[in-house]
Amino acid sequence: MTATLAKENVIGRPIDRIDGRRKVAGAAPYPSDFDLPGQVHAALISSTVAAGRITRIDRSRAEAAPGVLTVLTHDNAPALVDPPQNALGSTMRRPLRDDRILHYGQHIGIVVANTRAEALAAAKLVEIEYAEEDPVLDLDDPRAAVEDNPFGMASSRGDVPAALAAADVTVDGTYTIGAEANSPMGLFTTVASWQGGRLVVHDTTQAPSFLRIALSVMFEVPEENVRVLIPFLGGGFGAGLRLWSHTVLTTLAARVLDRPVKLVLSRPQMFHSVGHRAASRQRVQLGADRDGRLTALDHDAIAANGMGDNLPSPIVAVTPATYACANVATHERRAHLNIPYTGFMRAPGAVEAHFAIESALDELADQTGVDPVELRLRNYAEVHPESGKPWSSKALRECLEVGAQRFGWAGRDPAPRSTHDGDQLVGQGMAGASFEFYALPCTVRLAVDRRGNATVRTAGTDIGTGTYTITAQITAELLGIDVENVRVVIGDTDQPPAPQSGGSGLAGALAAAIQNAAGELAEQLARLDGRPGESFASLLDRHGLDELAVTGYSDLAGAATHSDVAPAGAFAAAYAEVGVDEELGVVRVRRLVSVIDGGRVFNAKTARSQAIGGAVMGIGMALLEELAYDPNSGRVANGTFGDYLVPVNLDVPDLDITFVGEPDTFNPTGGKGLGEIGIVSIAPAIANAVHHATGRRIRDLPITLDKML
Amino acid sequence: MSDIGYVRAADQGSALALVAEDPDAVFLAGGTTELDLALKDQVVHPSRFVDIGRLPLRGVTRDGDRLRVAALTTMEELAADPTVRDRLPFVREALLLGASTQLRNMATIGGNLLQRTRCRYFRDPEVGACNKREPGSGCAAIKGVARMHAILGAGPTCIALHASDLCVPLVAMDAEVELLDADGTRTVPLTQFYRTPGDRPDVENVLRHGELVTHVQVPLLPAGARSGYLKVRDRTSYEFATTSAGAAITVEDGTITWARLGLGGVGTVPWRAWEAESVLVGAPANERTFRAAAEAAIRDPFTVPGTAFKVELAKRTIVRILRTVTS
Ligand SMILES: Cc1cc2nc3c(=O)[nH]c(=O)nc-3n(C[C@H](O)[C@H](O)[C@H](O)COP(=O)(O)OP(=O)(O)OC[C@H]3O[C@@H](n4cnc5c(N)ncnc54)[C@H](O)[C@@H]3O)c2cc1C
Ligand code: SF4
Repeated sequence: MTATLAKENVIGRPIDRIDGRRKVAGAAPYPSDFDLPGQVHAALISSTVAAGRITRIDRSRAEAAPGVLTVLTHDNAPALVDPPQNALGSTMRRPLRDDRILHYGQHIGIVVANTRAEALAAAKLVEIEYAEEDPVLDLDDPRAAVEDNPFGMASSRGDVPAALAAADVTVDGTYTIGAEANSPMGLFTTVASWQGGRLVVHDTTQAPSFLRIALSVMFEVPEENVRVLIPFLGGGFGAGLRLWSHTVLTTLAARVLDRPVKLVLSRPQMFHSVGHRAASRQRVQLGADRDGRLTALDHDAIAANGMGDNLPSPIVAVTPATYACANVATHERRAHLNIPYTGFMRAPGAVEAHFAIESALDELADQTGVDPVELRLRNYAEVHPESGKPWSSKALRECLEVGAQRFGWAGRDPAPRSTHDGDQLVGQGMAGASFEFYALPCTVRLAVDRRGNATVRTAGTDIGTGTYTITAQITAELLGIDVENVRVVIGDTDQPPAPQSGGSGLAGALAAAIQNAAGELAEQLARLDGRPGESFASLLDRHGLDELAVTGYSDLAGAATHSDVAPAGAFAAAYAEVGVDEELGVVRVRRLVSVIDGGRVFNAKTARSQAIGGAVMGIGMALLEELAYDPNSGRVANGTFGDYLVPVNLDVPDLDITFVGEPDTFNPTGGKGLGEIGIVSIAPAIANAVHHATGRRIRDLPITLDKML
Repeated sequence: MSDIGYVRAADQGSALALVAEDPDAVFLAGGTTELDLALKDQVVHPSRFVDIGRLPLRGVTRDGDRLRVAALTTMEELAADPTVRDRLPFVREALLLGASTQLRNMATIGGNLLQRTRCRYFRDPEVGACNKREPGSGCAAIKGVARMHAILGAGPTCIALHASDLCVPLVAMDAEVELLDADGTRTVPLTQFYRTPGDRPDVENVLRHGELVTHVQVPLLPAGARSGYLKVRDRTSYEFATTSAGAAITVEDGTITWARLGLGGVGTVPWRAWEAESVLVGAPANERTFRAAAEAAIRDPFTVPGTAFKVELAKRTIVRILRTVTS
């Protein structure tokens, strides 16, 4: 490498988002901002029953309505090919496949008209009759088809039944979590246009490379003839990780009409069209000795899944790696219901599992009289409990200790109901969190030019987490240039393929790919006989080269299989203080301390924003959010922001957020993803604090006031 | 596509005429209720909006021991009024605990009285069974997800809540509504203005088509009385009341000599707790009295599984506000 490459301390600096100015000025184009010449507008036709078959469709009134260009339903639409499997598992049943209705709000057709208002009006004129069936809506419904071990994640080490039988102390708790909606602000949008044989789609997706593959298969066009664009995305929280039927229908309509078609979902449609965190029920049994040392952990989970769907979203995957315990068994089932398709929502599986496990540990602390923090330290997994390999990095201990100190845990009276403040009972609770390592292969193209600028290109996108900014920082540091001299081109599948923005896996994979590219670049520059201290700009200049471009690649998961360390994900601990107005049932969070080990932090400011977002979402999960289905029709009964409650500013106390830990030793850049870890320990910390305040253990989220009466 | 007309009324007379002449025309004040229902949810289908927003019906005047509030005064303006602050504190509290600042700057007092229920089944045009929208079609909420629904004045035809916070202290204070149409003015006590659903859930009040609310009159608290408004909800702000109570009380030598109690979050109409008031007046200001008043207030509730918890919560809400205003 030439001596000038590498600049100190650019990575990690809390610089403002490089795209921030464009965003606040309204100059960053989100999918709904795209309007193409000749574009027409679509509206969806949605099922108004949850189960059954369509017996009759009459499109004639809609087709005759003003401005209408086409009405596509299952009986007149061109057939599509089923979507393929991808790294996130199989996608759903393709839309318009047949006359079957699997959930309320299912997209059963699309109307295209000259204006959006005309399309919406015409959609109401399509007459549909159904042979309705009784929907299966509840996890406990005996009619629900239940699959055992659907993800192959059931696991066992040691002898759990024997250990439970021999344990000094046991805990046995059942924990339920209501369905939750991701609720990103940006309405999901598709703008599809066919240009000759080439498809260009602006779509609200967190997984542009996967979407490209899926559309190429479904519409039978070569992958290189599909371009997915998503330079800016108005939030996803996982909602953009799957292929959704509105995207397919809009693309289909554009093909039929050979015109660009635009569809923007309405807010109520968002609640049933882009997935949600499935409702779940978990049973955790713990066995321990009198000092709180775990001897057995049995974790059984069941979660809802759509009919005909098979989303791979295990809950128990994280369990075996959480604590040192010789005997651990996990079991998993899923029940198929007539509910809108489930999806991934921030820390899917991990956050559910931690609510159950960390609540159960609190119960164990209560029974043994061991302090909850000490209990977690006593069961600390110093090495990866499954493989026995040392962790690539793990600062959960620091998370727990620093958190306890910042929170003032030492002064806590362990007795429940011990602290009052006016009408409130005050309680303090805590929880730890372990997140799984996750990575997919990532490719970038890195170019430098003789003016001293660098350009990084990759298909992956920035869902608001700061990908643009950290990409520029990492590149600037590795190349020894200023952040201002790095151009980041992302969210475009004409660029090299990248993993989805999800699973906290993009930042690490991307950083490693950039580093790989920078190394390659350094080699190429070295071959150009660089002089000591010479910049690459001058080197290129001397050789009359405009640009030098290289490709970088990372496959961390591949490398993990033959690594002698266990690659670690992020870790965290949360400490919560709540006030419970016992007479009125109202629970408010008074203080929240969150400490996170995310390895090397690429940007202290955007990382902190992720932790804040996770904490706020965790408060929502703990106290407010639950999707309700009408028990008769299966319709989402609270699909508006007036009815589905997310936290508002007043629900969120000042958040004390700290990052601890060292650069990870497995990822070459030292980073670990941290987009999700911030939510994982919040709900159990709050529920444990509610118990400490009141002596009441609420095992059912959200903890709304009626449950406290 | 349904086209909706829009006219801005130049003066009161033309506003009245423009609505009276067309059975499907409606007044439009701040629009925070009406535009949602007509344009977003599309569950009401007016032929035309007659915008009264610029009529000179704005401001608060004091007339002896009464306040006269013009109908187009905004919620924020009324909350900021010095007389309201000093002599009707629980009206101010109820206003400021409602909606959000942005909405309160648009929403008018007349519109607040006439706001429509938040029942999601009413507001979703895909729901067929709603007696309030389509008399005789049934009530989907009763067997559905009903949490933000009424337990008092409710029945098998409709359990829709009147969700106003402001109306709770107003019914407690015996506010009166001044109405105007081509036939002249009339004044109706707010406690007689609303109708419980009975067999006509679609008829919510005694307002005739084309009748304009011009003013609301509110008697001031008597000297020595104390008041308070308590709103109980899961979300700290920007949510309607799960239960609420507005109380005004005078205590002399430990005995309650005057009492007013209104309830929110529980009634199909803003609820005046007359029976509770009779229990309170003449009784000692203590926990036993408060609980007895609460029991008297929530008699014969009509509950569904989702609202059953409100029976006890409403009672505790009453006890808490009585304790607060008498302490
Ligand atoms: C998100 C949200 C949250 C809210 N939260 C709360 C809350 O917490 N507490 C609360 O109390 N309220 C709340 N509201 C309701 C809000 O206060 C009402 O929407 C508002 O007061 C209505 O006033 P407006 O001027 O906007 O009425 P409009 O929407 O203009 O009119 C409402 C109705 O009244 C009629 N009307 C209006 N003025 C007159 C008049 N002078 N004479 C005759 N008819 C008239 C209209 O024809 C229409 O039918 C909330 C509303 C929203 C949208
Ligand atoms: S409660 Fe009233 S408004 Fe709601 S669905 Fe029933 S009838 Fe309609």
